Amino acid sequence: MKQYVVIGNSAAGIAAVEAIRQADKESKITVVSDEDYSSYCRCLISYYLAGDIKEEKISYRPQNFYKENNIELLLNKKVTRVDPKKNRVVMADKSQLGYDSLLIATGASSKFPELKGIKKEGVFGFRTLKDAKDIAGLLPVVKSACVLGGGLIGLKAAYALKKRNIDVKVIIKSGQVLSQVLDLEAAQLVQKRLEENGIEVILGQDVAEIISDEGEIKAVKLDSGKALGVSLVVVGKGVSPNIDLIKDTAIKVNEGIISNNNLQTSVPNIYAAGDVAETFDITLSEFSVNALWPLAVEQGRIAGANMAGGNLNYEGSLGMNSLEFFGLPTVSLGLFRPKNPEGFEEIRMMDENSQIYKKLILKNNFLVGAVLAGNINNSGLFLRLIREKIEVSSFKEKLLQENFGYPDIMGLVKDKEQVYV
Amino acid sequence: MKQLYYDIKKCLGCKSCEIACSIAHSASGELFKALREEFLSLPRKKILSSNNKNYPISCRHCKDAKCVDACMAAALVYDKEKGMVIYDDKRCIGCWMCVMVCPYSAIRPDKKSKVPVRCDKCKDKDQPICIKACPTGAIIWQEESVNK
Repeated sequence: MKQYVVIGNSAAGIAAVEAIRQADKESKITVVSDEDYSSYCRCLISYYLAGDIKEEKISYRPQNFYKENNIELLLNKKVTRVDPKKNRVVMADKSQLGYDSLLIATGASSKFPELKGIKKEGVFGFRTLKDAKDIAGLLPVVKSACVLGGGLIGLKAAYALKKRNIDVKVIIKSGQVLSQVLDLEAAQLVQKRLEENGIEVILGQDVAEIISDEGEIKAVKLDSGKALGVSLVVVGKGVSPNIDLIKDTAIKVNEGIISNNNLQTSVPNIYAAGDVAETFDITLSEFSVNALWPLAVEQGRIAGANMAGGNLNYEGSLGMNSLEFFGLPTVSLGLFRPKNPEGFEEIRMMDENSQIYKKLILKNNFLVGAVLAGNINNSGLFLRLIREKIEVSSFKEKLLQENFGYPDIMGLVKDKEQVYV
Repeated sequence: MKQLYYDIKKCLGCKSCEIACSIAHSASGELFKALREEFLSLPRKKILSSNNKNYPISCRHCKDAKCVDACMAAALVYDKEKGMVIYDDKRCIGCWMCVMVCPYSAIRPDKKSKVPVRCDKCKDKDQPICIKACPTGAIIWQEESVNK
């Protein structure tokens, strides 16, 4: 009998315990979470805030999940320290828990810029269900809000606030929305869609100060000197991995915890998966934090299986985002904007009338990235071409055509074809 | 567990399966009424051609389904007993993660109704409707082959 401990109760943590249980029906599994709720769909908090879905629809696993799988769930417990020498974790309340095998799936937290007024009441991150509930609680007395940052989290918060009839301004330092995810062309299509639906986008400006009076937010001051009257601020300036608990240990860390092709850290019985992990990015060819739900699930499952004695190989991560704002679906994969364009080839099409834009990025006839807006059909095939490193020269001309499809790559993929006889 | 297989030599690319699929998944279940429905029923199956051969493409209900992993709303779940990926429209929020990761691009977004369009093996019928619709018998409904 082993004792498994999983820190974190979201995508990676849940996938891991499911994989452990599949391989090991007997051993003890303990999941520790510093949140208040049983597992929930973190990416859905914007839909919850918008009023699109009710709280019961945000649960990720049924109520009886932990009982049925014989998993001990400790909520509201924060692990403050991992002690690899003694194989134990220490909680904020000083209680301890020993482990034979540990998964760190602590996720990430909202980054708050150093800014006058940022610690004031009425300034929120947008990462947890608690954030969404706290914001929702204030909405009856809020008329206008501003969102700092034009990334995915910021824009999703803006969408939700707009849906609740709040005037929203999104303040973005760079020259485009979603600069970490989209190229300029696709970003402009998204921006247009946001503006058509009443969300104000302010580019090339940053907030210099948040101004409050008697505990209430009154305005934000931009670095241009201009002040905008708002009573709520949501910060969407990215996230940083929750790595405090491994400080001063032998566990190797960069931006996130370095996790190898078995999802193992530099300490063999400690694994890391999900938003806290820094894994090998196959399109960047270097270790990188790719904090994305599908990757977290995949990593959690592989880590869990390996913790239970398996030997699964993780082939690496890459950026992959699917988003939709006001009816415009958009997908971004891999290297959507290479740092140094030399050696890269682009295939693109733009149809302004139907708001469709597609761009593929190739290197030596291998697909390394893609941006699709308005029409995202075949994005799964593009992802597969990138992940399986399939040479595309024999069908390159067809890639962006309507009739391109799986039959064109069938003979080149890893899995043997099963359904065609 | 029964799965759909295709005899490629017999497929003429006539799209009879696509039409039958669309009608079967429409609200009315009848061709002429289906054409006037608010949300036009899209086929769950598509015929694509490559090297002069025709290939019906539809969800394969993968056991290690990427779409299930990617679904951040837990709307897609692999049901071991039924041997298929089941979909809960009440949970789906239309994020298209499933479209992004399907290795066969067998899921397409219905932008109007915000539903991922994919084969459900006509779960309420005795067998998928496309089988009888195929005039050449190219669509085969049989127990999963052991090597899968």
